[in-house]
Amino acid sequence: MSSHGRPQMNSKLGDESRTPFWGIKTPLEIKVMAKSLKDVKKPTFRKLLKAAVSYIESPEIPSDFLDAINGETNIPSETVASIFSGILSILKAAFRVPPTSLRQEAFKSDLKSLRMPEEFIEDLTSAVYGAKRNAIDETLSNPSSKLPGLERLRWRVDVAISNSALSRVLEPTVFMEITLSDGSMKKVEVPMTKFHELRYNVSSVLKEMEELEKRSILKIQD
Amino acid sequence: MALLFSETTSIKKAVAKINSIENPKYARILSRILQKIHLKDERPFSAEEEEKLQGVLNLDSSDVSLVLETTAFFVEQAAYHLAKPAVLSQQLKNIGLNEEKVTLFEKSWTSQAKDVVERLRKKTLIPNQLQEVNWRMNLQMAQADRTKMKTPNAMFELVVSQDDGGKDRIQMEFNHEQLYQFYSQLETIQSQLDALT
Repeated sequence: MSSHGRPQMNSKLGDESRTPFWGIKTPLEIKVMAKSLKDVKKPTFRKLLKAAVSYIESPEIPSDFLDAINGETNIPSETVASIFSGILSILKAAFRVPPTSLRQEAFKSDLKSLRMPEEFIEDLTSAVYGAKRNAIDETLSNPSSKLPGLERLRWRVDVAISNSALSRVLEPTVFMEITLSDGSMKKVEVPMTKFHELRYNVSSVLKEMEELEKRSILKIQD
Repeated sequence: MALLFSETTSIKKAVAKINSIENPKYARILSRILQKIHLKDERPFSAEEEEKLQGVLNLDSSDVSLVLETTAFFVEQAAYHLAKPAVLSQQLKNIGLNEEKVTLFEKSWTSQAKDVVERLRKKTLIPNQLQEVNWRMNLQMAQADRTKMKTPNAMFELVVSQDDGGKDRIQMEFNHEQLYQFYSQLETIQSQLDALT
């Protein structure tokens, strides 16, 4: 492939060539929101923004919230709804990347390209880069879908004294009661050989995890 | 040492039959029984094999059963009382087992008692036994609402036998801290086990 055939984008490092943080194609709800903002007053926008931030922290919203805004402002419900989902889309896209990867200036200039009023851009910027950001990152970096975790492990060590086949056994076993975070409970008898296997495996995974975290790949800031 | 065997009619009859069996054939029967004695749900010989034994030993079906059951009983008693080979052979002599068979028992028991007893020690009443430990360690890079993550996690699968012969798979996920917690608990258990010996 000759270098002449390449798109010119790579050589231009200016702002226009950067992909907006929401992706190559601007999502419809963001476009609709930008167009609908002209009749919206600042307090209304702030209310919607605040609701969107708390929706990201825990996805629920009072059922009459959008209607209430509609009642206060006479803005049609559909418009209120599309502004809300536009804000939500912007926040989600911004929170998806760490703040070190999406600088404030870039964030603002992407929003400017939508021709949004300056004051709303300022509000969005303080929502994304403000004091609450750490708490939101904390919430979002918890793995969203996962296998159940180990909620509780109860155990006991038994030593069998005798059984129907032997007058003297003296064999220890570990009996475990495993409660998982999905609420299920399992009871397992662990013979000595298997207990050693389990302990060996857990300790070697732990060691590998520690080594992985020490490796430089994890320390690169991007 | 307590008396392992008493000379009942049934045992007398069985001893006579065993004495009549050729040594190499009986050696193989004894060896099979020693291998299978710890198995709860399995007989040492399948029904088909028992039928063949009738021809090989020239005995009828009930005599074959008597020989097999009595041999198993000798082994079970020796194991239960953890009998020394010399004690076992003396007591077998007392109930009239012939010299060659007694020697056979003494030799087999000398070499295999340890394994047989070890297998019997592992006998348990609880069907849910840990059988296998599988794991996978991951580095989570992204998820639906987040990119550029670097969160290590470990998935563990414990394969546990079930009453019905099936297997249960307990799957769990741990982050670093949770895995450390789990490890600490296993260490506590280990220290209890160490204290036993």
